[in-house]
Amino acid sequence: MKTLLALALMAAPALADTAAAVNTRIGPGYQRFAATTATLADAAGDTCARDVLIPLFNDAFDAWIAVAHIRIGPVEDAGRGLAIAFWPDTRGTGKRVLDELTQGTAPLDGFERQSVAARGLFALERLLYDPAYSSARGCDVIVAASEDLARMAAAILEEWYPFAGLMLSAGTAENHRFLTREEATQAIYTQIVTGLAFNADMRLGRPMGSFDHPRPERAEARLSQRSLRNLRLSLAAIEADALSLKPDIPRTFKAMEKARRFADRMDDADFAGVADPAGRLKLEILRQQLLAVSDAVEDEIGGALGVGTGFNAADGD
Amino acid sequence: MTHHPLCAVLAACAAMAALPAFAVTEAEVADTYADIAEAGYADSLTTARALDVAIDALLAAPSQDALDAARAAWLAARVPYQQTEVFRFGNPIVDDWEGRVNAWPLDEGLIDYVDAAYGGAEDNDFATLNVIAHPNFTLSGADVDAGAITPALIAETLHEADGIESNVASGYHAIEFLLWGQDLHGTGAGAGERPWTDYAAEGCTNGNCDRRGQYLKAASTLLISDLEEMAANWAEGGAARAAVTDDPAAGLRAMLTGMGSLSYGEQAGERMKLGLMLNDPEEEHDCFSDNTHNSHYYDGLGIRNVYLGRYARVDGTEVSGPSLSELVAARAPEVDTELKLRLDDTMGAMTALKGAAEGGMAYDQMLAADNLEGERLITAAIDGLVAQTETIERAVTALKLDAIAFEGSDSLDNPNAVFQ
Repeated sequence: MKTLLALALMAAPALADTAAAVNTRIGPGYQRFAATTATLADAAGDTCARDVLIPLFNDAFDAWIAVAHIRIGPVEDAGRGLAIAFWPDTRGTGKRVLDELTQGTAPLDGFERQSVAARGLFALERLLYDPAYSSARGCDVIVAASEDLARMAAAILEEWYPFAGLMLSAGTAENHRFLTREEATQAIYTQIVTGLAFNADMRLGRPMGSFDHPRPERAEARLSQRSLRNLRLSLAAIEADALSLKPDIPRTFKAMEKARRFADRMDDADFAGVADPAGRLKLEILRQQLLAVSDAVEDEIGGALGVGTGFNAADGD
Repeated sequence: MTHHPLCAVLAACAAMAALPAFAVTEAEVADTYADIAEAGYADSLTTARALDVAIDALLAAPSQDALDAARAAWLAARVPYQQTEVFRFGNPIVDDWEGRVNAWPLDEGLIDYVDAAYGGAEDNDFATLNVIAHPNFTLSGADVDAGAITPALIAETLHEADGIESNVASGYHAIEFLLWGQDLHGTGAGAGERPWTDYAAEGCTNGNCDRRGQYLKAASTLLISDLEEMAANWAEGGAARAAVTDDPAAGLRAMLTGMGSLSYGEQAGERMKLGLMLNDPEEEHDCFSDNTHNSHYYDGLGIRNVYLGRYARVDGTEVSGPSLSELVAARAPEVDTELKLRLDDTMGAMTALKGAAEGGMAYDQMLAADNLEGERLITAAIDGLVAQTETIERAVTALKLDAIAFEGSDSLDNPNAVFQ
């Protein structure tokens, strides 16, 4: 009987508010992403002026970062997540394909079949910020890439609602995707854990390189000077997701606040500072703080809800 | 599946109360797993030794036939090795070692001559080092004497030089490059076309044939010693075997972690979806030999082997024992049924992919932007892998392994231990 009680306690976890995460965070996030990318595409149809397009590009990028760590549902269909934000591009494929595209004369229709390295936000960043692409043909590619991005964002938004319905009806007899409520909770929880790891290992880890060989050139979105901004926005979004899933997470909140304060004091927009030991140390400290956040999340959310981290795209090498 | 949490608990309790009546125990299942690993690495070692013999023959008397024989031996060596990839992610001993034998993708210009149009990884100062042509060079400020190309030079100096992962100097893919050369056909038909005269003493093509031979032999020697190390790790008394059999619950976690991580993040994502979405033949796993269809197929088979508790050895015999499938079936029969079905679906898709490649549409051709049939074949395999991952997660839940992780001591030391 004692065993039975212990098991019941262990397996009767605190309730997660999956609905809050789905309805107040992810859905509105996709709405904003669809709206900002539509605005960018509309504007690109009218003008190629960088002073008009660049702020709209940044709005769209901001909107994406708020949901970028969500890698379930329609964003995973047709490789959209990869196409929206293909980074890191370790083989320089984006530059190569964009050079071909902008130097060529082939029609740009069917842009959705282009290599993902030539699509999405990182292609637009290169086209908008690198003067090498300021030709008329460069403008044509900007139009095609903006429309393609807006089309993907609209499709994700439209298809999100049926998928959200599946998450909210998890555990009902006719739901074959989420067989229990815990499966839906686990899916959201996995995105939080994976998103934190992405910030620590990729956004910070890549430019950090090794102590002997830091790699400032590997920072995300350097051209647009968004490296630190992306990190800050991503952490804020992940924190809000975590709080919506489970509001009583004081350790997580405290650890996150520490990381946020540290990041807010940093003055290194593109992480160029990693090149010297003092600058690199700051990224190292922030990375440690993010690992502490992950620990707290795994304890306060995963442990308390009785769900483990599911498999995710970062499992490979 | 029952949906009320309390019912789930009671069902689990009832199942646990019935534990002694189970046909299989966790310990037996972990033993089978270790036995399959032992046999898989032993087979990898046997076939790598056969490859080494073929390489010796090629270097002793270079000819087209000798090169073809070495290539055939390499292809045969991949069959058991790929089936061991499922042991990677759940077992730190394997994961820490794996980069020495199967690292990919590589900047092959580190090793030997490459085409003028070749482009290596970003900011890799050594992407075109070409060790075979350069007995002396500077690496991270230090002068390197590569006058003799030895296993130690490859393992300790060249491999992952400058901390860059794509500086792959050792393992199957380095040997693959030395046997086939670059595949310059892009997404068109044809694999690498290295001439046998690249190893000829007289009429040497592309220069430095003696050093190229030295490199090939050294890489082959190194592969054998690396595989010997891993085979010993899984033999009776080995550390990798002990890690999964001393604590069978840890063994079960390793099994499911390996299955899920290989299915989803590595295979479906990194190796298949990424290449498809980039339309880039450089993103092909066995890009020199055009053997990628087999790599994927045997990876998938390895995942199913672990679940079903059986492995067909290269000599035709079978290693089998109490399986994870039986264990899951006893706790949650519907999960077991679904997982077996989905593993079979994936293998069906992999078989179609392999069949198409053997019928003349190589994997890199499937990656072409306008090849809708290729896209369909690859997508079916990806979908199968993604679907089976969902059920692997259900198996973790059915076996209560996620709860165990939060109770167990290792979760305190390493909260990420379950699924990394």
